Amino acid sequence: MRRGWLWIGALLLLGGCASSSRPIDEIQIIQEMGYDFENGRYTGTAVYPTFKQGPMTKPNLLTTTSPTIYDLIPRLSSKSPLPIEEGQLRLILFGKEFAKRGVTQITHSLARNNKVGSHLLLGVAKGSAKELLHITAKTTLSDTLYLPNLVEQNEQSMNLPKTNLHLFLYRYFSPGSDPFLPYFEKKGDFVKLEGLALFRDDNYVGHVSLRDAFLMKILLGETKNGVYQLKVGNRGKQGEDRVMLQNLWAKPKFEWKRDGSRHRLDVFVHIHASVRDYPSWLDPLMGKQLDNVKKKMENELEHNIERLFRYFQKKRIDPLGFGDFVRSVTKHWDQAAFYREYPDLDIRPHVTVDIVHTGIGE
Amino acid sequence: MKQPIPDRFLISPFFVFFVVHAIQIGVGALSFQRPLMKAVGQDAWMVVLLAGLAAHLFIWLMYRLLSRAPFGGDIVSLHQHYLGRWFGGLLSVGVMCYYLLAALTVLQSYIEIIKVWVFPLMGTWQFSLIFLALTYYAVLGGFRVVAGLCVWGVVIPLATIFPMLFFPLEYAQYRNLLPVFDHSFGQLVSASKEMTLQYLGFEMLLMYYPFVKNAPSSQKWAHAANGFTTFIYLVIILISIVFYNQEQIQHLTWPTLTLAKIPEVPFIERMEYIVISIYVLVVFPIITLSVWAATRVVKQLFAVQQRRSLPVLLVILFIGTLLLQEKADIERIGQWTAKLGLYLVAVYVPLLCISVWVVEKVKKTLQQKP
Repeated sequence: MRRGWLWIGALLLLGGCASSSRPIDEIQIIQEMGYDFENGRYTGTAVYPTFKQGPMTKPNLLTTTSPTIYDLIPRLSSKSPLPIEEGQLRLILFGKEFAKRGVTQITHSLARNNKVGSHLLLGVAKGSAKELLHITAKTTLSDTLYLPNLVEQNEQSMNLPKTNLHLFLYRYFSPGSDPFLPYFEKKGDFVKLEGLALFRDDNYVGHVSLRDAFLMKILLGETKNGVYQLKVGNRGKQGEDRVMLQNLWAKPKFEWKRDGSRHRLDVFVHIHASVRDYPSWLDPLMGKQLDNVKKKMENELEHNIERLFRYFQKKRIDPLGFGDFVRSVTKHWDQAAFYREYPDLDIRPHVTVDIVHTGIGE
Repeated sequence: MKQPIPDRFLISPFFVFFVVHAIQIGVGALSFQRPLMKAVGQDAWMVVLLAGLAAHLFIWLMYRLLSRAPFGGDIVSLHQHYLGRWFGGLLSVGVMCYYLLAALTVLQSYIEIIKVWVFPLMGTWQFSLIFLALTYYAVLGGFRVVAGLCVWGVVIPLATIFPMLFFPLEYAQYRNLLPVFDHSFGQLVSASKEMTLQYLGFEMLLMYYPFVKNAPSSQKWAHAANGFTTFIYLVIILISIVFYNQEQIQHLTWPTLTLAKIPEVPFIERMEYIVISIYVLVVFPIITLSVWAATRVVKQLFAVQQRRSLPVLLVILFIGTLLLQEKADIERIGQWTAKLGLYLVAVYVPLLCISVWVVEKVKKTLQQKP
């Protein structure tokens, strides 16, 4: 049997010859990629780190234009001395013009690409993606992951709902929902997260602010985190009549009812929150005062949520997945019929706020 | 006709659990969700249960049949005893071809996965050669070695791949499971055909039955194995239903591997490559046992030693992998295997069972008459 082993060993060694390994300093690892559409041509921008001494890296950019989308990576290759690897892609940024024309060509190609992970982030830039990537490359000293970190930080502790390639594809393919992505804007020499870009199918159709993103986050069933400023009085100077609410735990509940000839969707939201900041005239925030503030908060939240719903209905988009909810409670759900009714659908928010605490001081 | 097989070549009944289970779960577990959810959407998990129950029935039938085989023999001796030398022999060759086809399906599907995911530039023949050389080595070791492979082929993937399946629950949308029973019972039954290839594997019992010590007592382990297979498929399908939506899954060739893109570990970026590597241990026992069963048929039929026929069969497999490299071909042989296997366990074995029962009845009455 020793001969058998020898034989197998030789075969395995032979097999090793065929695959070529690629040391890290001999490839160009793209970490961020931007796509733009300008004057009938597509522009691709790749951000990659160059390794200098030790752990110091410097973000570098490659840009190319082409009349087609698929051609961009090969064209980038013709400008790069090292082979381009997309296995470490962390974020793909679409320029607004590009996003308006549809992003499926990119997302489908990503979905088919076995090298790209499901955690890849996507985003939309207000102006051009190229410009934004240039700014991040300039403002950060060594970090090529500025934008991905920005998104992740805000998802984990602030108002941004979770988004990534998997979720984008999930919402895109789902018959009962539409995708959305983080929306960036250039502010002076900085890049700022502005809110959420909304899509109908794969076309950008509008965006909501980061404040409204909080409401979306709660309505999507992401239970924790997010802050929201609410107006509770009319006392002149700015800032003096607002309270800052921090979501500790929230749960949405939907109910689908038949109301005569029409349908009605009731949305119940229960928020357990803490009040982070409140104006001094509200002191002490307890008893009747607290109930009063709570009532006002609930009213304003309901009002804002309703405004958000109307906006979605006007745009004929369903980023919150109402369609998917209705599908789950209807046998043989009819997608076309539901979305025909959708713009005039009676969607009513009902908000309950529980103020769990107001911080460690009173 | 033949001597009973010596004790030292036998496995204890308990190991039937591993052998049956290892052969049932194969490359199909990576991709079965797609056709299933296309047919019945969120009710796919019921089909998994339904098909599992059907498999129990067929295993039971198979044990009824094999317990009547002369000298505790296998399907070849059954054929010879009840259907005569020529007709029986012809059917035995058919069974052998089926075993080879099963080995080819699994080997080819796995090579395709490696080529698509890991080494796109490598040729089929390299992998095929390595696999078949390993198969040669393992099959020469005899049935006990093959059964030992099956044990590891169950234990290691269960400890490594199975827990990974639960990471995607982070993104679970449990409302995808609703509404329950959105499809008619007829639809469910017709969709359960899609599960054939996934549950097939216990038909190897037709050959290794005489190698099990006190074989009839192993029936409970075969049923347990099938139950466990059902459980694993159920877990995979439930996770897939809540993780993907029905449209999205139609765009993925191997939904289970895409599930493995979700776990994030600091020292390794992408778990699906680990899953594919460990999957060798799932695939390899299937190939070896199928090839072993084929050589066993040859030995019983033509009295050719297994070590003589083995290289011939492996060369046939090797040529098969070279000829059928395109995706459409691979899918087609998969469908053939599923169809043939279904006829074997669901039509042929019951028919044989009935005819054997009738023959025995007639014999008895004839003996009683004079």
